[in-house]
Amino acid sequence: MKFDRRLLINFDWMLLLLLLGLCVIGILNIYSAGYSLSDFKQETLYVKQAQWIMIGLVLMGITVCIDYHLICRYAYIIYAFSVLLLLLVALYGYTTHGSQRWIMIQGFSFQPSELVKLTTIIALAKYFDEHRIQKSYNLKELLIPFFIVFIPFSFILKQPDLGTALVLLIIFTSITFFVGVQWKSLVLAIVSVLIVTPFSWFFLKDYQRERIITFFNPESDPLGSGYHIIQSIIAVGSGGIIGKGYLKGTQTQLKFLPVQQTDFVFSVFAEEWGFMGALIVMVMFLALVLWCLKIALHSRDLLGMLISFGISMLIFWEVFINIGMVLGLLPVVGIPLPFLSYGGSSMIVLMVAMGFLMNISMRRFILHP
Amino acid sequence: MTGESRKWLRFRIFTLLIFFLVLFIALISRAFQIQVLSGKGLKNLADRQHTKTLYIEPERGIIFDRNGEKLAASIMVDSVCADPSKISNPAEVAEKIASVLHAEKDPILKKLSGSKNFCWLARKIKPDEAKKIESLNIEDVYLVKEPKRFYPNGELAGRLIGFVGLDCAGLEGLELKYDNYLRGAPEKLTWARDARGKRLFPRIEKTSTKQDEGYHLLLTIDSRIQHIVESSLMEAITEKGAKCGFAIVMDTKTGEVLALADKPGFNPNKFSSYGNGKGINRIISDCFDPGSTFKPFLAAGALEENIVTETSRFNCENGMYVVADRVIHEANRKKYGSLSFYEILKYSSNIGCIKISEKLGKEKFYHYITQFGFGSKTGIDLPGESGGLLRPAHKWTRVDTSTIAFGQGVSVTAIQLITALSAIANEGVLMKPYIVRAVVDKKGNVIKKFSPTPVRRAISQETAKRLSLILKGVVGESDGTGKKAQIAYVSVAGKTGTSQKFDFARRAYSSEKVRTTFMGYFPVEDPQIAILITLDEPQRDKWGGVAAAPVFKKIGEQIVTCFKTNIRENPFTVPVEDPLYKNPNIKLVSTPAIVTGQSDMDTNDEPFMPDFRGMTIREVLKKANEKDIDIKVVGNGWAVSQEPKPGTSLKGSRSCTVSFSSGY
Repeated sequence: MKFDRRLLINFDWMLLLLLLGLCVIGILNIYSAGYSLSDFKQETLYVKQAQWIMIGLVLMGITVCIDYHLICRYAYIIYAFSVLLLLLVALYGYTTHGSQRWIMIQGFSFQPSELVKLTTIIALAKYFDEHRIQKSYNLKELLIPFFIVFIPFSFILKQPDLGTALVLLIIFTSITFFVGVQWKSLVLAIVSVLIVTPFSWFFLKDYQRERIITFFNPESDPLGSGYHIIQSIIAVGSGGIIGKGYLKGTQTQLKFLPVQQTDFVFSVFAEEWGFMGALIVMVMFLALVLWCLKIALHSRDLLGMLISFGISMLIFWEVFINIGMVLGLLPVVGIPLPFLSYGGSSMIVLMVAMGFLMNISMRRFILHP
Repeated sequence: MTGESRKWLRFRIFTLLIFFLVLFIALISRAFQIQVLSGKGLKNLADRQHTKTLYIEPERGIIFDRNGEKLAASIMVDSVCADPSKISNPAEVAEKIASVLHAEKDPILKKLSGSKNFCWLARKIKPDEAKKIESLNIEDVYLVKEPKRFYPNGELAGRLIGFVGLDCAGLEGLELKYDNYLRGAPEKLTWARDARGKRLFPRIEKTSTKQDEGYHLLLTIDSRIQHIVESSLMEAITEKGAKCGFAIVMDTKTGEVLALADKPGFNPNKFSSYGNGKGINRIISDCFDPGSTFKPFLAAGALEENIVTETSRFNCENGMYVVADRVIHEANRKKYGSLSFYEILKYSSNIGCIKISEKLGKEKFYHYITQFGFGSKTGIDLPGESGGLLRPAHKWTRVDTSTIAFGQGVSVTAIQLITALSAIANEGVLMKPYIVRAVVDKKGNVIKKFSPTPVRRAISQETAKRLSLILKGVVGESDGTGKKAQIAYVSVAGKTGTSQKFDFARRAYSSEKVRTTFMGYFPVEDPQIAILITLDEPQRDKWGGVAAAPVFKKIGEQIVTCFKTNIRENPFTVPVEDPLYKNPNIKLVSTPAIVTGQSDMDTNDEPFMPDFRGMTIREVLKKANEKDIDIKVVGNGWAVSQEPKPGTSLKGSRSCTVSFSSGY
């Protein structure tokens, strides 16, 4: 593959800048979350996170270099590989906190469900790109894409990881809407979902039900299931307008906040930097999502548009659900905050996803051979 | 891709863009709501979560009497507290602690089984027990130092001083009134804790508004006089079978209360063993009909208005006088014909007083009563003072005016009576009574000083002197009602009083239940001390002259004898640096020489040797010069003895040898 100078000229510096900015904030924040007043030995998660970012950046670079059309030729294979990993998780994965989400590869733990988000998007994009329809899709035509999502969805639900499963479903719905659904099919789908939803209550795990009850009434059990959300709101709220200062968040440092380096990382940030800090980060995320949409809008072909659209959806929904959860707007579901939460799998997958976006963005003027 | 479908997709992306914006705005406004609108409340909540505070009381200030005697002191003792939320084996811990404290196990176990993170297990334990608890070294069971109040003199001035509750707050008496000075600011121990309750970075914060340590109080009370008063009073109560009795000794010139007794006594060391409300100081809260002790104030008004002289005569109607629909008799059904104004007071004629009040008129009468402070609080620095009951004059019926003239139908407190009497003694100036002379800190600096405060002039100096002489007759003359209050060599002015108690069951004045009172002051020539004695429901000797006057005499005599020699031998000392000693603005003893004797006044007709005892050399020489007496000085310091003795006639020789001593 010969190098085209225009690729460099059209490189999406803005996107790189935004995500690097978020990554730096993420590292500083994880440092603070692990910085404890109580014991002086610091947890070294921020170092690991930095390493993950480095690896992620390398993989992103590789992704950028290879034309996305070329990658998408193997979309189904990649997809199948990621589903296979999920199967491995189900068979050999190890369990923490009551769910089986990780597999160990050479001493590193890896979370295939993160990878599946991206591979599913690519597979869906390829499918819709190959099965174009003049107007909009009906239910029968959507059956295959549905299965593409449903297989990993059910694996993930089984782990159990309700949050990731839901994200997958939401991405599917978003993409489907984007490509177009027939009104009749849409109504039918909504009605059937409405019928199924009440029954799904019985399939939920006890802790999941508890979380939903807690969401509606967190004070019902302040030290039990409501603890997370109450502590999160206390931490965020006690930050006030300008925050308590870096490394000075009492609720974080004194370990009142649960899972402060992963799902509730935003509370740490909001406590220490206050409303101003929270606003800046939220605006950065909004800018990132809008930038991704812009890439989608300007992409050269449907494949690129679908991939970038799917990735924007992934980032948007994860940000929205996570922050909404931290602020007590949504029930507690375990979804990490992109770029800010600690987590290698998530970080690497996001970096690769960003690589795809840059890939699509810089190739928007190049005609496919 | 066709242009049209591309346009369609663009439209969708734009719609989506708006949708995203809306959701992000939702997030931002939620963050605004939590962080900006309810941020403060949540911050407090957070602070409550991660800080733990314990208040440790400082040592409470000491209460000293005017001579530096400790009436109330504090010692630091240990209390045991625990953090039940951390104790995993409450049964075992309770067992251990109970065995050391010789206490029941169950209550301790119950406290330890709770989920709180603080509880007291035992308050103010003995030092040896504390040592044992310490040696047990149980985790999450702590010893905290707390001040324990101790009253070295037990019952002495118990009701006056009041007492302190378990949590170091004054609950009654001076302990309550001056609580904010005595108590000091509790030390605030604050530490941060993490979510597991682990204690981090203990830091000591002090509340800044108040002083750290408690201040001391210096009282006007003289515990020696207090002791004399209490024992004499108790003796009388037992002897006369009275329910209770009050006595007040006041410095007439300053309003300083030298002793204030309310018997039977109250031991603040054991306040919890008394019933509720038993610690209340009834001298300032109990209201009673003053009876005949009210007559001098009517007389004061009459003299001041110049409507009578000592010799004005009144028809006392032979012991029976009809006012409106009521027949009024003299006390003990005595019958008087015509009495002079002087005699009316001497014999305490009720009908005579009615006649005087009729002449004075109720408006004027009311005016003078209020001038003497009746009907309003005296403002003494004790909690729970009552103002008595005095209806305004325009509400008085004719009968009211008549009965109030002899002290029925008006109610007063003991402190009001003695304060008003002191005004007569103090040449007509009403002083505000007070008990605390100064508040000093532990270094001995004076924080707050209380000086004699004149309230108003009740009557003219002239009237006061005339009235004083009349009251002197009440005691001094052999047929006066107060003759049993006579003190040898001292001229006493006073007034008896017996009031029938109002029987609420029968809605009438009882003839069985009485309150008998004597109030007086001495020496009449230059009054120093006023004393009020009242016995409630004595079973024997119901009439004031008989029951209360001897108590007055007894107290008065002891004060006279003991003070002449002792008052200067024990100069006042404050334990730390003796602040008042350094500060000449505060006199150690406001009435330097409670020197009595007939000397001054009586020199005109019968010259006697003055009493020099207690004076300095300079004072002795000055006095001797006035009297034209030759003085031979022996030693230096204060006069302790003299030859010839005071009161000796000066007719023979006019020379005297005075021995002085510095007191040690």
